[in-house]
Amino acid sequence: MKIALREVTKRYGTTIAVDRVSLDIGDGELFTLLGPSGCGKTTLLRMLAGFAAVDGGEIRFGDRRVDRLPPYERNIGMVFQNYALWPHMTVRGNVTYGLRLRKLTAAEIGRRLAGGLAKVNLSGLEDRYPGQLSGGQQQRVALARALVLNPDILLLDEPLSNLDAKIRVQVRGEIRALQRDLGITTVYVTHDQEEALSLSDRVAVMREGRVQQVAAPKALYERPANRFVADFVGTNNFIPGVVRERADGHAIVETPLGRVRAGPGDVALGGACVLAVRPENVALDGAGDNRVEGRIRLAAYLGNTLRYDVEMAGGLVLKVDVGDPWRHELLPAGHGVCVTFPAAATLVLRDD
Amino acid sequence: MTSDGTLAAAPARRVMATALPALGVALLWAFLAVFLVYPLLRVFYDAFSNEAGRLTLENFVAFAGDAFYRRSLWNSLLLGLGTVVATSILGVAIALLLVRYEFPGRRLFGYLTLIPIISPPLVGVLGFTFIMGKAGTVNILLEDWLGLAKPINFVYGIHGVLLVETLHLFPMITLNVVDALGRIDPSLEEAAESVGSRGWQKLCTITLPLTTPGYVAGALLVFIWTFSDFATPLVLGVHDLLASQAYLDIVQFVDRRLFRMGLVISALMVALAIVFLIAARRYVAIKDYSSLSYSRVARRRLGPLAAAGAVTFLSAVMAFSFVPYLGVALASVGRGWSMTPFPVRYTGLFFARVIVETPKYIVNSFLYSALAVVLCIAVGVPIAWILARTRLPGRDTLDGLNTLILAVPGTAIGIAYIRAFHAELPWLGIPLTSLWIILPIVLAVRRLPYTVRGSYASLLLVHRSMEEAAASVGARGLRSFGDVTLPLIWRGVLVGALFSFMTSLQEASAVLFLSLGGWETIPVGIFAFYIAGSANEAAALGVILIAVAAVSVLVINRLAGARMGGMFG
Repeated sequence: MKIALREVTKRYGTTIAVDRVSLDIGDGELFTLLGPSGCGKTTLLRMLAGFAAVDGGEIRFGDRRVDRLPPYERNIGMVFQNYALWPHMTVRGNVTYGLRLRKLTAAEIGRRLAGGLAKVNLSGLEDRYPGQLSGGQQQRVALARALVLNPDILLLDEPLSNLDAKIRVQVRGEIRALQRDLGITTVYVTHDQEEALSLSDRVAVMREGRVQQVAAPKALYERPANRFVADFVGTNNFIPGVVRERADGHAIVETPLGRVRAGPGDVALGGACVLAVRPENVALDGAGDNRVEGRIRLAAYLGNTLRYDVEMAGGLVLKVDVGDPWRHELLPAGHGVCVTFPAAATLVLRDD
Repeated sequence: MTSDGTLAAAPARRVMATALPALGVALLWAFLAVFLVYPLLRVFYDAFSNEAGRLTLENFVAFAGDAFYRRSLWNSLLLGLGTVVATSILGVAIALLLVRYEFPGRRLFGYLTLIPIISPPLVGVLGFTFIMGKAGTVNILLEDWLGLAKPINFVYGIHGVLLVETLHLFPMITLNVVDALGRIDPSLEEAAESVGSRGWQKLCTITLPLTTPGYVAGALLVFIWTFSDFATPLVLGVHDLLASQAYLDIVQFVDRRLFRMGLVISALMVALAIVFLIAARRYVAIKDYSSLSYSRVARRRLGPLAAAGAVTFLSAVMAFSFVPYLGVALASVGRGWSMTPFPVRYTGLFFARVIVETPKYIVNSFLYSALAVVLCIAVGVPIAWILARTRLPGRDTLDGLNTLILAVPGTAIGIAYIRAFHAELPWLGIPLTSLWIILPIVLAVRRLPYTVRGSYASLLLVHRSMEEAAASVGARGLRSFGDVTLPLIWRGVLVGALFSFMTSLQEASAVLFLSLGGWETIPVGIFAFYIAGSANEAAALGVILIAVAAVSVLVINRLAGARMGGMFG
């Protein structure tokens, strides 16, 4: 089932929580709304679910306009951030509640219950109460409860945020696999960019109620549309500058570090911009289109990487990742280094 | 203080630091053992033994063999269940309106629903008889206007007890359900909507079941209260209830057999309270549905018609609940109020009688209640501290005893004290029951839970790390308590203590059993005056009691906001 949003708006008093959002989500796509808290992503999801009224615009599921329908007429399945399992019902009670409301036969209910629990690997726990389950298990019950109704759309509101880091990665993989098997159109809300990148077909980054960029994870990470996206998704070094020249697919930008060769970008000659270059694209004493002298200020050992804060002339600090600390001798603070980064990995963004 | 002085005093300080708290804890336990556990055990012993002191079941056999007691037991159970049903319907409906809907006057009604529960029950009954009695205002008006030949019996009889208890106790349910509703995570209801549940279906399968822990606690208290209340039935002329019988059996000191029956009933009440308490604790323990939710289900604004309905319904309930106070107020200043809808002349005579001529009611009430509160604080605050801050062995028992007090009826405690403390004290040569100090003691024990709960709740709010932070910058034990903890908890302690004070003033059941000539408190006076036919003096005392309750509640509200629900759970 496709989802189409047109100019969808939500106001709370004078603040605009969701501002004229238009999106097209494809059939069977796992689409993620990503953004910091307060960006409107949850509000948008709740409008899709029908828990928040739409103040302007329209929402369609397939050909059906749903924005005036109550939640129970939208044929959605929703997984809540805290799972929202009914504590007074067993796993069986939780999963079959919606089926019982639909007055299905006992045999059909039993069949769907078994099928739903099998999908999430919870068979055998039918008679437990939510309080007797681990966080990961509760999460799966919530997922099964949403899926047994064969919804057109699956809505997930930060479903992994209450789980431990290890389990989170595991359940993340399970959700992705299940979603792909079922081919169900899914809207996923998260503030965790790693989560968004790892499981989405496409991601919409939101800020202050507006969509900043819609892109597949790789494109989002490698070609952020603006400074906010570049900053929110992953880590970036930002260098302010002014575009001076454009030649053979490069821009030459005047910065506090001197003239820097960067990707073309679309900022006009003479226009103020900000350069974004990721720490993993910056090297120490390597080859690159741009070379700048600096001094180590701080080293942070992270196990799989080593991150240096390198202070450049003029006080600007660049983060530099060394991807293979095993082979690298830790440099002391104050040590002089030469920092290099390629033009292709240096983005020219409008300064917003 | 110099550091040298500190060092020199250190060993002595260390001894004090371990010995004093141990002594304090021992005293707390001794207090509870002597004034709570022993009397309750004593009642059981008496119920299971004969005059010769031998253990036997013959008292229970006699009880079961007596058709009158069997009928009383049956009536009491029916009355209890009936009141639970009636208060549940009323209480849950009001709670839902107050929490889930928006309509004019919602806040005001929220306050008003509290009033019946904090007003003295004895006064309530009295008021009903003035307005709704056979010669009460309503019947007179009906006779005058409609030519009614025979007055309608609104209140005398078991239906009247049901009416009075329901109007008095429904806030117990409302408070608990309001509290529980407020703690339901909105996503639980949204989840229900997302799978297709709505309206009544959602209410009955999701919302109400989620309130059960709070509701069960309220319902149990309503049942126990009704089951053990003897003053209301006796004022309304109902004798064939267990509690009424217990009172009548005990206060006649002539027939030993009847006296034993009173003890058996008292033992039954205590057993019932304990069983209910354990059941409730089990139930609530396995079903803790509260969640730390940051949001609440949004209130729905009622349409004009529905809002009018809600306001009418609540106004009607409130009007009914306030009928007694109107009646009591009129009776306290009215003369010649018979066969007329309202008094024909007004006088301050009755107030003069109960305030100036015999000031003992007020003096005794305030003296005993004040002493009781001092005891409550002395015992209750340390208990709250132990519960909130320590892992002392016996902590759970302490908590259990504290809750048990809420469940054990005053009737049973009163009877238990009569039996437990009628032996002569060593040295003094007279029994404790002959010393007026027994009244403050019984009041303190009865009202201890409020002080404990008030203090406990506010202690929980003071995070331990705040005290540790004080310690880390150099404040020692008592110093950090005085500088950090006390300023943060005194409100809670005061609210709990005030609640203990107010309810001590209103305590009728236990005191009625123990009061001797000269010790009469206001409720005892009300009961005695009314039974003796001096309804006006009883009403005057009632007005005084209501006035004190009203002032206390205002102060409590100022200090604590309207969150008194925790006091009754």
